[in-house]
Amino acid sequence: MASSSAGGPGSGDAAPPRRNSKRPKYSRFTQQELPACKPILTPRWVISAFLLVGIVFIPIGVISLFASQDVVEIVDRYDSVCIPKNFTNDKVKYIQSPGSKPPCHRILNVTKHMKQPIYVYYQLDNFYQNHRRYVKSRNDKQLRDPSSENDISGCKPEDSNSRGVIVPCGLIAWSLFNDTYNFSHNNQQLKVNRRGISWKSDRDHKFGKDVFPKNFQSGGLIGGGKLAYNVSLSEQEDLIVWMRTAALPTFRKLYGKIEVDLQKGDVINVTLGNYYNTYSFNGKKKLVLSTTSWLGGKNDFLGIAYLTVGGLCFFLALSFTLIYLIKPRQLGDPTFLSWNRGPGGH
Amino acid sequence: MVIRKLNEEIMLYSLVFSFDFALMCTLAAIGLGTLCFIVRTKKFFNLTATKIERKYCGFATEEQSQKGKSDHLDVDFWNLIRCFPIFDFLDWREKAKKMSGWDRFKPSRSRLGRNPTNMDQRTVPRTVTLGRVQPQAPSHRTIYCNDRDANLVLRFKGNSISTTKYNFFSFLPKGLYEQFRRVANLYFLMVSILSATPYSPVHPITNVVPLSLVLLVSLIKEAFEDWKRLQNDMTINNTLVDVLQDQRWECIPWKRLQVGDIVRVKQDGFFPADLLLLASTNPDGICYVETANLDGETNLKIRKALERTWDYLTSEKAFEFKGEVQCEQPNNSLYTFTGNLVMENQTLPLSPNQLLLRGCSLKNTQYIVGAVIFTGHETKVMMNSMNVPSKRSTLERKLDKLILALFCTLFSMCLIGAIGSGVFINKKYYFLGLDKGVEDQFNPNNRFLVALLTMLTLLTLYSTIIPISLYVSIEMIKFIQSTQFINRDINMYHAETNTPALARTSNLNEELGQVEYIFSDKTGTLTRNLMEFFKCSIGGEMYGTGITEIERGIAEQNGIKLQEQKLTNAVHEKGFNFVDERLMRGAWRNEVNADACKEFFRCLAICHTVLPEGDVSPEKIKYQAASPDEAALVIAAKNFGFFFYRRTPTAIYVRESHVERMGKVQDVSYEILNVLEFNSTRKRQSVVCRYPDGRLVLYCKGADTVIFERLTVGNDNLRKVTREHLENFGASGLRTLCLAYRDLVPDVYESWNEKFIHAKSSLRDREKKLDEVAELIEKDLILIGATAIEDKLQEGVPNCIETLSRAGIKIWVLTGDKIETAINIAYACNLMNNEMKQFIISSETDAIREVEERGNQVEIARSIKEEVKNKLKKCIDEAQQYFHNVSGPKLALVIDGKCLMYALDPSLRAMLLTLSLNCASVVCCRVSPLQKAQVTSLVKKGARKITLSIGDGANDVSMIQAAHIGVGISGLEGMQAVMASDFAIAQFRFLKDLLLVHGRWSYLRICKVVMYFFYKNLTFTLTQFWFTFYTGFSGQRFYDDWFQSLFNVIFTSFPVIILGLFEKDVSAALSKRYPELYKEGIRNAFFKWRVVATWAFFAVYQSLVFYHFVNTSSYAAESSSGKMFGLWDVSTMTFTCIVVTVNLRLLMMCNSITRWHYIGVGGSIVAWFLFIFLYSGLMTKHDRQENIYWAIYILMSTAYFYVALLLIPVAALLVDFIYQGVQRWFFPYDYQIVQEIHRHEPEDSRTDLLEIENNLTPEEARSYALSQLPRELSKHTGFAFDSPGYESFFASQRGIFAPHKAWDVAKRASMKSKPKVSKKEKH
Repeated sequence: MASSSAGGPGSGDAAPPRRNSKRPKYSRFTQQELPACKPILTPRWVISAFLLVGIVFIPIGVISLFASQDVVEIVDRYDSVCIPKNFTNDKVKYIQSPGSKPPCHRILNVTKHMKQPIYVYYQLDNFYQNHRRYVKSRNDKQLRDPSSENDISGCKPEDSNSRGVIVPCGLIAWSLFNDTYNFSHNNQQLKVNRRGISWKSDRDHKFGKDVFPKNFQSGGLIGGGKLAYNVSLSEQEDLIVWMRTAALPTFRKLYGKIEVDLQKGDVINVTLGNYYNTYSFNGKKKLVLSTTSWLGGKNDFLGIAYLTVGGLCFFLALSFTLIYLIKPRQLGDPTFLSWNRGPGGH
Repeated sequence: MVIRKLNEEIMLYSLVFSFDFALMCTLAAIGLGTLCFIVRTKKFFNLTATKIERKYCGFATEEQSQKGKSDHLDVDFWNLIRCFPIFDFLDWREKAKKMSGWDRFKPSRSRLGRNPTNMDQRTVPRTVTLGRVQPQAPSHRTIYCNDRDANLVLRFKGNSISTTKYNFFSFLPKGLYEQFRRVANLYFLMVSILSATPYSPVHPITNVVPLSLVLLVSLIKEAFEDWKRLQNDMTINNTLVDVLQDQRWECIPWKRLQVGDIVRVKQDGFFPADLLLLASTNPDGICYVETANLDGETNLKIRKALERTWDYLTSEKAFEFKGEVQCEQPNNSLYTFTGNLVMENQTLPLSPNQLLLRGCSLKNTQYIVGAVIFTGHETKVMMNSMNVPSKRSTLERKLDKLILALFCTLFSMCLIGAIGSGVFINKKYYFLGLDKGVEDQFNPNNRFLVALLTMLTLLTLYSTIIPISLYVSIEMIKFIQSTQFINRDINMYHAETNTPALARTSNLNEELGQVEYIFSDKTGTLTRNLMEFFKCSIGGEMYGTGITEIERGIAEQNGIKLQEQKLTNAVHEKGFNFVDERLMRGAWRNEVNADACKEFFRCLAICHTVLPEGDVSPEKIKYQAASPDEAALVIAAKNFGFFFYRRTPTAIYVRESHVERMGKVQDVSYEILNVLEFNSTRKRQSVVCRYPDGRLVLYCKGADTVIFERLTVGNDNLRKVTREHLENFGASGLRTLCLAYRDLVPDVYESWNEKFIHAKSSLRDREKKLDEVAELIEKDLILIGATAIEDKLQEGVPNCIETLSRAGIKIWVLTGDKIETAINIAYACNLMNNEMKQFIISSETDAIREVEERGNQVEIARSIKEEVKNKLKKCIDEAQQYFHNVSGPKLALVIDGKCLMYALDPSLRAMLLTLSLNCASVVCCRVSPLQKAQVTSLVKKGARKITLSIGDGANDVSMIQAAHIGVGISGLEGMQAVMASDFAIAQFRFLKDLLLVHGRWSYLRICKVVMYFFYKNLTFTLTQFWFTFYTGFSGQRFYDDWFQSLFNVIFTSFPVIILGLFEKDVSAALSKRYPELYKEGIRNAFFKWRVVATWAFFAVYQSLVFYHFVNTSSYAAESSSGKMFGLWDVSTMTFTCIVVTVNLRLLMMCNSITRWHYIGVGGSIVAWFLFIFLYSGLMTKHDRQENIYWAIYILMSTAYFYVALLLIPVAALLVDFIYQGVQRWFFPYDYQIVQEIHRHEPEDSRTDLLEIENNLTPEEARSYALSQLPRELSKHTGFAFDSPGYESFFASQRGIFAPHKAWDVAKRASMKSKPKVSKKEKH
């Protein structure tokens, strides 16, 4: 646009600025001329971007998939199997009946060499640890600090009973998972290390060293496992694991570690203490033995996803190249401009 | 109105929320209503309420009639107040009764017999002219001049003014009230309240933090703006003025001025308050006042003090002045004032003639002395002060619809969740402890209640779907856009007037990118209102070698290169741009037709109504003329050696040079016997004069048609040649006049003069009779020649219009000028050409004139309407043929004000609209300010197109306010248009920058910002929604409270602002080179439901990717340690992915990536990590649960985190990328093609381009002009002559009674010349 100063005698730029001139000062910002990179998504760019993603993703996918394939996992569902025959129609009644329950025996076959540590998980299904009422039913202060023992806000309905406040209070602790697993191999007890199964940060900071359980599971209805009264919460690792609530209704939690290699063909006897009630809500219970890779447990998803995305990108790169070769669109073809396309243009 | 609006909001809510929520809203509405009532009360007492509505309610557009209702409300309220005895002190009438002065006042006023409307108001105080004048307190005020103690009792307001919206105490409540008038803010307030209840899954902080941040930003902005206003007020309040204190003039600031003070104002000073003029240094107590600040009129007005007070000029004298002023109470009527001055037991009536209004300035007077009558907010100008009308942009209104759609989405999401929760809840989930004493929300025994309460829970949970920071972000972006970009654009700086562009509102930036219709005023906007004598034809010879822009274009079209001769000795001054050696410096004497030349020049020098002013020398003299045309003609005469230098009521003095012989100068006085004035029916003007040698001549100038009719028979050749010349001039876009004369025989003249005087003194139909008498003598004329005046267009107007029309914008010219002038200008600026099919609907037809002669008003109205209807129907029928024909000519419509009045009638409106919308250009002439507004609203409301009005004068104010966007031309004297406008620019051509560059970019940016907000919030909220399905519909939050609350305000807010500021598809130069790109804005291509749907699709896709990828991949252990993630680890992971993706997505939608983008996007991602490092590392005492504690460190200790963080954003963005690639490849937008065309050109600094462009511009302009030019010479001759808009100086001659106007438009020259003459005569 012709600035009027240029039209007049002598350009406004050349002339020394008048006093009181309201001429805006030049700056790249106010004149909106900041140096900028202007990427144009040309076909070449599109194709190269796809290729790049493909090249990066496929190897990662392969590696991840290999990592996942390396993991040996044994899953055994035992919830219905561990109910005595005469109770199959009324599992809930069986599990809720007081008194000791006979141990349940399971046999696991090792199909592949398993390198130690072998992680023992229990997996629950249809258990809504992420339900709003459940998630908030705890009191972190009480867990951490012995002086806040009476801080039971949010713990309803498992906050206190006739004997006083419950430590740890709340539904989460109350419904602590309490099935037990014992493993033996060739009639030899396999030691399950139940230490170090929780995140260190939880142990050190969230559960107090000098907070001890109190009045726990001493009310009318017992929700789950009991805790040793003389062990501080920070050492009750199964509680710590349990209280790190899961994101989904189907979840695995670490039970312990077997620190011995298992050979292919080994048969492992599991002596199961089946106490935990998942029967009332048709929840499944599974026992999982798994090794890990650098990427964690057996999960093909990442690898497959990488491969899919990478493959798709390769495919797209290919098809775009084909289109480009067969029917190239010239860049900046003015005939594409809307006002050049149709007659009249409006 | 506010209450009604609130009710609408309530409806909206009840739709969205459950019943009890609506109840809450009702309560809130009642509360706010009360608050609003209080505010209104306060407004009334301040007497600052809704003035602007009042001022312009006369132009009753639909909106304004609604506003009128609010005035009723005020009046009612006034009555209400008076019912309470406690407010008795407000009843001034009571007080008035006790005052004896009032009784004396009354008869004198009736004697004056002025301002009947004002009187009516006083006698019937309750009848309030709707919106015109404020309800007046029925009383008067008594002011004791020069007596502060006496006035103290009366408690007048001080002179300090405050235009601030808030004060220290009212800031918070009032500011908050303003904020909560916004639906989104109110909604968030509700949600915040809701989130404090136990039903909320989130901590109140989740909603309170964003809300308070948003409110904080808005309030800071308000405070900042108010602070600026305060400073402005302070500057004004602290201006110094001389006030009389103990016989001395003391300098005190304006704010300390009090009613009754005697002040002295010096030349060019502004009046600090409304003053009563007591004395002036000019003789006769006269002073001159410029009222440009009030009404934009730049001619000086005259004020005259009462004779009794003339002497109080010095401080000593003024100190003796003791008087009592009884006058009306403060009101906003600028042109009325009644009062009495009581001094020494004499009552002197006061009129507006003695009133000096605040805001005006003193001119041509050394100083004046006056007494303060009204101060501060009670001055007339303050009571008229205009607020910028608050307009909302169309896009913003559409945005409301989007928000509504989001509300609906929210509602359905909540409904699904609520139903789910009712179904899910079951005692079998014993671990939820549903047996004993469970609260209502989870009580399986009442599933309906569970659903209902869960609804509330989910409402708070999903509240993030409404982008709370959207409005404040947009506001911030627009604010910076207008203050930093528009106001500081060097390309829109006009050096000559030293005016940069000014965005007076920042609401409408993006509206500038969607304008489809421009309504332009002509004078001062398209043209410079600068008439220059350019060519002439004398005795069949054409003179003047200048070439107009249009001629140049035609020549180039024919392949001829025109070389402009540069003459070093060419005379050029304002009003005279004539180059021809044959006539200058007396050379005309050597011409063949020297006699004709002499007559021609004499006619120019004598036949006019111009008044000379200033020193009697050709260089210094100034001419005061009714129209610039006239001045140009007199200036031309001066340059030809016929220097008109003095006028008395009876004579014109001309200094003639080179007449008898070269170089000889002689002063000649011509006795002026009669002046037959110009008017629109006569289209000519004549003067009868007597030469010193007794020769009696009638000189006449006028439109060619009129003059040619009255020529004497014979000399057909001259007639033919002159006509050819006239057509020639017309085709070059020049305004022409024909000159003729007639020698009169004394006897004939005498007998005619008797008739003339008789006609002049007749009381009935004087005008008509005068016209008839004039006909008797204006005949048998001898043609001298013709003049051609160039109506100078503003710089770059044709080019700009051409560019804008290529951009798909239609330009209508609405002008008060005559039809000929308007058409002429339309031709000159390429709006019309001969290839266009013109439809002219004019009231100047014989049929209409005939009806008008008969004079029956009803009959006139009926028949004109009928006529207009027929005309419209005919035009539409004709136009219909062309619609079907693709290659048909473009259409143009010309309509005049009178016809428009009837065409705007509801029954014809639709026809008018159909016709005009199909026309490429429309010219409305002779339209009133009201009609300008009506035409604008017709298109705005009737056709629902975005309109822009541009104008420079007070008469454009209504149109400027009626349009979506009002643009005022600044840099000239009048400020009225600018004060009413949304944007002010110095030149019409800057519209190109304003619309094509700033408007287009703003539109693009705001669209992207809105879409991006929509997308990111939807994505984020949907992940939460998917999670709800896996939590037994319990409404458990997926994210930590702080994540959710900071998502909008920190992690994703900065880059989007960067986008809103720096996004550029193509450079400014290209925007103007390809004006067609603007059509994307007109089509609203970037904010359609289709675009929204696309974004929604990607939001859904991405949210699914985030949710399921993270959850599925974290199913098993995530690292070799075998430990498992909990809920909060998963959510932190998801949130990280979202923040990264959403920010990268922003980068993907940018066309221009500056380092600010990198800083913004990078900064946001880094900010998230910094935040989470800190937040998860700290164990706060006040947190309810330490969910997030150490989560990020746990995450980052796993390999999974990095692998997933690479995969998920790429997978999420893949589809967007494919879409973008395919879209660009196969369905490119225009701007993308333009980008590609110019992809290799580095974007140079625009100023560099400027220089290149500068060189190109004339050529480009010409080539544009070429494409638009008529292929054949125009057949129309451009007659144009503006008639004076007011009673001229001559009206008062010879016993003509001219109704004396209260606010007389005076000519300082005329007033000056008289005393001078009289003085001379005395000597």
